[in-house]
Amino acid sequence: MQPPLPQHQHQQAAAPPPPNSAAPAPKKKRNQPADPDAEVIALSPKTLLATNRFVCEVCNKGFQREQNLQLHRRGHNLPWKLKQKNPKETRRRVYLCPEPTCVHHDPSRALGDLTGIKKHYCRKHGEKKWKCDKCNKRYAVQSDWKAHSKTCGTREYRCDCGTLFSRRDSFITHRAFCDALAQESARMPPIGAGMYGTGGMALGLSGMSASHQLQSFQDQAHSSATTTIGSNPAAQFEHLMQSSTGSPAFRGAQPTSSSSSPFYLGGAEDGHQSQASHTSLLHGNKQAYHGLMQLPEQHQPGSNSLLNLGFFSGGSGGQDARLVFPDQFNGAVGGNVRGDGSEHGNSGANNESVAIFSGNLMGNQMASGAGFSSSLYNSSETVAPPQMSATALLHKAAQMGATMSSGNVNSLLRGLGNGGGTLNGRPAGAGGFMAGESSSLRSTSQAENESQFRDLMNSLAASGSGAGTAFSGGFPGMDDSKLSTRDFLGVGGGVMLSMGGAAGLPLRHGAAGIGMGSLDPEMK
Amino acid sequence: MVQDEGSSSSVTSSPLHNFSTMPLHASPGGAAAPWLARELRSDERGLCLIHLLLNCAAAVGAGRLDAANAALEHIASLASPDGDAMQRVAAAFAEALARRALRAWPGLCRALLLPRAGPTPAELAAARRHFLDLCPFLRLAGAVANQSVLEAMESEKIVHVVDLGGADATQWLELLHLLAARPEGPPHLRLTAVHEHRDVLTQTAMALTKEAERLDVPFQFNPVVSRLEALDAESLRVKTGEALAVTSSLQLHCLLASDDDSSGKDGCHHHHQSSNGKGGDTNKRQRSPESGVSPSTSRADAFLGALWGLSPKVVVVTEQEASHNAAPLTERFVEALNYYAALFDCLESAAPRGSVERARVERWLLGEEVKNIVACDGTDRRERHERLDRWAARMEGAGFARVPLSYYALLQARRAAQGLGCDGFKVREEKVAFFLCWQDRAIFSVSAWRGRRFD
Repeated sequence: MQPPLPQHQHQQAAAPPPPNSAAPAPKKKRNQPADPDAEVIALSPKTLLATNRFVCEVCNKGFQREQNLQLHRRGHNLPWKLKQKNPKETRRRVYLCPEPTCVHHDPSRALGDLTGIKKHYCRKHGEKKWKCDKCNKRYAVQSDWKAHSKTCGTREYRCDCGTLFSRRDSFITHRAFCDALAQESARMPPIGAGMYGTGGMALGLSGMSASHQLQSFQDQAHSSATTTIGSNPAAQFEHLMQSSTGSPAFRGAQPTSSSSSPFYLGGAEDGHQSQASHTSLLHGNKQAYHGLMQLPEQHQPGSNSLLNLGFFSGGSGGQDARLVFPDQFNGAVGGNVRGDGSEHGNSGANNESVAIFSGNLMGNQMASGAGFSSSLYNSSETVAPPQMSATALLHKAAQMGATMSSGNVNSLLRGLGNGGGTLNGRPAGAGGFMAGESSSLRSTSQAENESQFRDLMNSLAASGSGAGTAFSGGFPGMDDSKLSTRDFLGVGGGVMLSMGGAAGLPLRHGAAGIGMGSLDPEMK
Repeated sequence: MVQDEGSSSSVTSSPLHNFSTMPLHASPGGAAAPWLARELRSDERGLCLIHLLLNCAAAVGAGRLDAANAALEHIASLASPDGDAMQRVAAAFAEALARRALRAWPGLCRALLLPRAGPTPAELAAARRHFLDLCPFLRLAGAVANQSVLEAMESEKIVHVVDLGGADATQWLELLHLLAARPEGPPHLRLTAVHEHRDVLTQTAMALTKEAERLDVPFQFNPVVSRLEALDAESLRVKTGEALAVTSSLQLHCLLASDDDSSGKDGCHHHHQSSNGKGGDTNKRQRSPESGVSPSTSRADAFLGALWGLSPKVVVVTEQEASHNAAPLTERFVEALNYYAALFDCLESAAPRGSVERARVERWLLGEEVKNIVACDGTDRRERHERLDRWAARMEGAGFARVPLSYYALLQARRAAQGLGCDGFKVREEKVAFFLCWQDRAIFSVSAWRGRRFD
């Protein structure tokens, strides 16, 4: 696919970047500020190619530049004064290329300089009349030709294929296509290694999805996604477990030995190590991938999938069931891996691993993971799971706020649902309720809140006082004020709400909270 | 969650019917104080925290600092930066409320050197990186941005990308790869990056130049050390007629900060002396309001107008999808509570509780944002997040037209989101913008715009 030599030259001729670096030496300042009010001028090709556009009306002498013409005209001692052009009044002009297929034909891509557009037109759409005598390059613009001949032969870069370059950038561009250099296939893995090795997950995805990227990359490069993923966990696993019993086994990819590893990993991850493994997992990711790219060529593990499984599902003992075996693994490309997404705490590291692993786990895992996670997320409405997410708690609080018996809705609580804003679907009841009340939230002022709190407090107090006394009686052994603070849930929840409303009176009483016993006297 | 509990507690019926549904058993759930006879379950505790926070916010907003103090004490005993998601959220918001309350005593603030308690730039950068690693939102947004740039620059030989800040170096590395893999070969890429701190720019420059060298992509990096509010469009050195792409990730909302004084809102008329670590000096440029237009709007609009004047081919804007710019504190507070609860939940499922990275993100990144939203006002409050519809109105007002984001990018983003294992990440497409969501709550929005085109 190497372009033959004449095409080479053509490439070289095109390689020097267009208009703005004609001069190899110091770049002229061409950055005029973009002016939205600039006057757009479209000149005809004839005008652009004409050399002497400006003609003196007195003696018909032609000039290339307007300033030169003006200078010349002064010599004629014309009666009227030549005014200086006022830069503020003069509108900035931008020029269009007359060639319709050219990018600069569009007014939004107009060039700012007349000389620039002339040169552009000549170079791109004109005939190359100037030729360098040392090499064979041809130029359409004389200044380009002059500039080139100055540097022709002075400094040279030589490509391995024998081509000589005087410019570094054209040299670089050429090298990208040169056949004499490393072949394409050799080029791809280094790119990959670079991707991961330079600390970034190159395809723009987080470290957790690195293997996913890897997979897609591999898809492009090798169309054997599984190999990548397969070798991936092996490297990671090894990294994580210094004294891994299974690592050689992993390489050998034997089902039996690998089945033990998840347990090991699970054991390692439980408890205290989870944190360590978590972070090392993240770092291990990068290293693993770095080495990974070299692997695909040599490493063709048969039971790669197993390794993955073992590695990723080893988060907790209960996941043995998830350990399913290779065949399904290979098939489930890009599937949803939910894994332990919903587990917190110790399984955090497992989350990572599953996440990193990306889409290739099999249906079994997904099913069990799905069941697990769904139970966690969906149950916030119905059952009280051990760990509710903060969002779920907010929903619940909003729900509760919405159904306050006092009828005076705690607008802030309802606002909780509003704040959810772009909630999709239907968060239970509360969401719809919230949406309807959004306007009320907006219009609520501080005073309203306070009065609502007060109302709330009153209604609560009425029903709460009895419970309050009973309550304080219930825990004789404890520090009264603190106790009552704690127990607000059963009784004091409402009191908490009313706390603010009662001008802080109950609050000041007792240490950090409401003395339940003291609530009554304070009640207005 | 209805459980009748005839436990040792003498409370048989609770006053609030709603609260009565909560079981009062004495199981030791969650991290409660040791002297507690009956420990709260985590969800009970969470609900309490929410109520307490709301009360406290209302109190602070109304200037009832004693009530606020009491509420904060309660919160402090229940919340913890090392607990579950709700506890952490509560800890962050409680700190913010406390700071806001303290504004009533500026002497205290200054004596405590409060503004300098924020994270150093290095810490902030580290927290941002951790956030990128733990939660995929910004990486996905970056990928979408790169894809948009790639598609817009399809046949260009020279590409100039201006980053208004926020993009991580990894995003540009990825762009380099995408460009290098173009069938027609890589263009000459010029990247102008705007950032407050020079060393960040230098590091990015080194990493990118090295990579471009390796990939044989002609590359040029122009650093512009400036804050966005003080940015001069000329310093971007955009050449007339060149193919320009602009990206901005979570930066534009700072432009909405202005001197709108929170008079009477919270009863404290003392203006916070310095910011909370996000950036020191207050920029008082462009404060003169046009008739009918508030100063904040005019500054942002002027900036967008200047941007439009550069005639970019594509502008990709990533912003937080939340309205944290309401004037009344309580409104902002509730909105922020929901928003950051979702983010903290995301972190909860992305990292274990002991994770250092997660703690950093929560404290140095999210916590600082919360503090800024709740405790600051006027020009100090830079985290003025607004939802996409308002940004869209601004962009259109400045002359931009919407560009549909590439379907391919959507597929990529969805695939990536699915592949991440955690169930919560979703990418929602709506009216040519993407919303990166956690559990149906949109967290970030990504949209693309183009400058004028005459065809």
